[in-house]
Amino acid sequence: MESLLDQSSLFLQQLVNGITLGGVYALIAVGYTMVYGVIQLINFAHGEIYMLGAFLAYTMVTVLGIPFFAAFILTILICACFGIILDFVAYRPLRNAPRLAALITAIGMSIFLQNLALMIWGSQIKSYPRDMFPAIFLKPALSIGEVSMTWMQVFMLSITVLFMVILHLIIHKTKIGTAMRAVSQDKTTSALMGIGVNRVISFTFAIGSAMGGMAGVLVGLYYNAIFPTMGYIAGIKAFAAAVLGGIGSVPGAMLGGGVLGIAEVMGAGYISSEYRDGISYAVMIAVILFKPSGLIGRQIGEKV
Amino acid sequence: MKRLCCFLFAWILLTGVVWADSIKIPIAAPFTGPLASFGEGMKNGALLKGEEINAAGGINGKKVEIVLEDELCDPKEAATVATKLANDPKVSVVVGHLCSSSTLAALPVYRGAKLPAISPASTNVSIGRMSPYYFRNVYRDDFQGLFLAKYVKTVKGYKKVAIFYEVNDYSMGLMLAFMKEAKKLGINVMGTEAYTADTTDFKPQLTKFKMMKPDAIFIPGYAPQGTLIISQARSLGMKNVAFFGADGLDDDLMVKNPDTEGLFVTTPFLPDKAGPQAAGFVKAYRKKFGKDPNWFAANTYDAVGIGAQAIKAVGQNREKIRDYLASIDSKDKAYDGVAGKTYFDKNGDCLKEAFVKKIKNGKWVSAEKQLQ
Repeated sequence: MESLLDQSSLFLQQLVNGITLGGVYALIAVGYTMVYGVIQLINFAHGEIYMLGAFLAYTMVTVLGIPFFAAFILTILICACFGIILDFVAYRPLRNAPRLAALITAIGMSIFLQNLALMIWGSQIKSYPRDMFPAIFLKPALSIGEVSMTWMQVFMLSITVLFMVILHLIIHKTKIGTAMRAVSQDKTTSALMGIGVNRVISFTFAIGSAMGGMAGVLVGLYYNAIFPTMGYIAGIKAFAAAVLGGIGSVPGAMLGGGVLGIAEVMGAGYISSEYRDGISYAVMIAVILFKPSGLIGRQIGEKV
Repeated sequence: MKRLCCFLFAWILLTGVVWADSIKIPIAAPFTGPLASFGEGMKNGALLKGEEINAAGGINGKKVEIVLEDELCDPKEAATVATKLANDPKVSVVVGHLCSSSTLAALPVYRGAKLPAISPASTNVSIGRMSPYYFRNVYRDDFQGLFLAKYVKTVKGYKKVAIFYEVNDYSMGLMLAFMKEAKKLGINVMGTEAYTADTTDFKPQLTKFKMMKPDAIFIPGYAPQGTLIISQARSLGMKNVAFFGADGLDDDLMVKNPDTEGLFVTTPFLPDKAGPQAAGFVKAYRKKFGKDPNWFAANTYDAVGIGAQAIKAVGQNREKIRDYLASIDSKDKAYDGVAGKTYFDKNGDCLKEAFVKKIKNGKWVSAEKQLQ
């Protein structure tokens, strides 16, 4: 019934949708993966930093009238500070406690921040008014036949790729990156070698939260829907992406995000939209079953 | 801590004294959460009616007290609220719930406690026949779906329609009703796609619709998702496709979005199409809340009125109130409210008119052509 051309443009458009969604997941997943890589803590409050990022930029643009790109950069900086504060308040006092205790404070912080946002901004979905929206984002960047991609999508994807490259360079080419890798292997020995372990961990939280906040601003703008529970669902998906790619690995988070995003969109597009989330999680479970360390996670032997 | 205890104690003492001789009418609806603005209409309508009843001397000399029970449109919360109300001996009739899924979750609790409830807003078909204690002064989705299909066919002339529904009782019931009538009328339903309430990304499903090239897309869901769906469709380049929905999209959230221009929805109440009995209500509502009443407000105003009338007639006995409500079963016994006459069939359902409103120049207006 449908022509081959229609079918292929449908596929291409779904691929574009999937890659954009995957980029979103990847951006959030990086924050999870970095913190996990360094202190083996699943920072469940990360989704909330993402949500706060979205709200902060929204408030700066609509209430304070700050131009979007300035608000974007300010939000990233503020979210980095949030990350440091979060670590200082909730995780540092528990650094030598059993890992489960820190996990529970993480969940506690997540609930606290969600309710804080609920108190400040209310439960209604917030949207940027059209006239405050950066005009360029609405224009189609490319449009071939039925396939279209907006500048917003292009901007999101390029930011994602750019920051992944920067992160990779920070971790592998800088002094602080080397320190991060050292701390991730052995905190005590790193401290003995003169590395300021707490400083390194703060830095990790700052970078991870900056990425989370940035993702929040971009996604809030992309879907134009900002609400206090947005971090919870996105956080779960991004966590799944991080695990899928191999938790602790930055390229893994990117790959995991991409695979999860495309699986979700293709599942909704070709199998059943009713079971959209089910399909994406099934893909994750299948990968973990066959490769427990994730797509590009390293196999870590038990320390004896 | 000490101060808090003192405060709590004082509060209990005070309220105990004030409430000793009052009649509680609980309103169960979402007052926070994404659907809070629907609940706000219910709240305002109920408060206005309660005030008017009290100004006229209360019910049999007792003051009416409107109690707001927030259930977030979440079936789990709704069941909790229902249990609380069922165990409160001061509660003899409930006005609620708003969302069909909430009503369906609360229904077995009320049935078990023999507590009559009147829903001003739940339209899912199965509610009435599942409990002799449930009544509603709103039409059912089989009527609403049929009405919409007829409107789409005769007034709009659409031939090809796609349906984008949410996975919940309200949305799916409405979709089935629409499809049944569409088949009879020869409207081609090209495809149906689903979404869940917690998603913000609708592009994969919309991309499929884009390739089908329908004349219109039917969204039998709620406003928070509806506004996102329409915007995302436009950003995918679907410029000419029309959108329509049911009473779940009848919310001011929709008009804040410039992409929704031209959207039309069914609604049980329109201030300028309602009969003369509504004029006083619309005026009082505008004065008190500074805006026009929506259908949630009008129907809840009536539901509280029906409940009050029942208590006035038979007292605060749950069984007797149920029997009284069930006895309002013909046109001449009907409760003449601001949103039309209400009388119940053997399931506790009622038949009422539907209207169409649309968004024109960023405002909700009554559609030029109604279907009566």
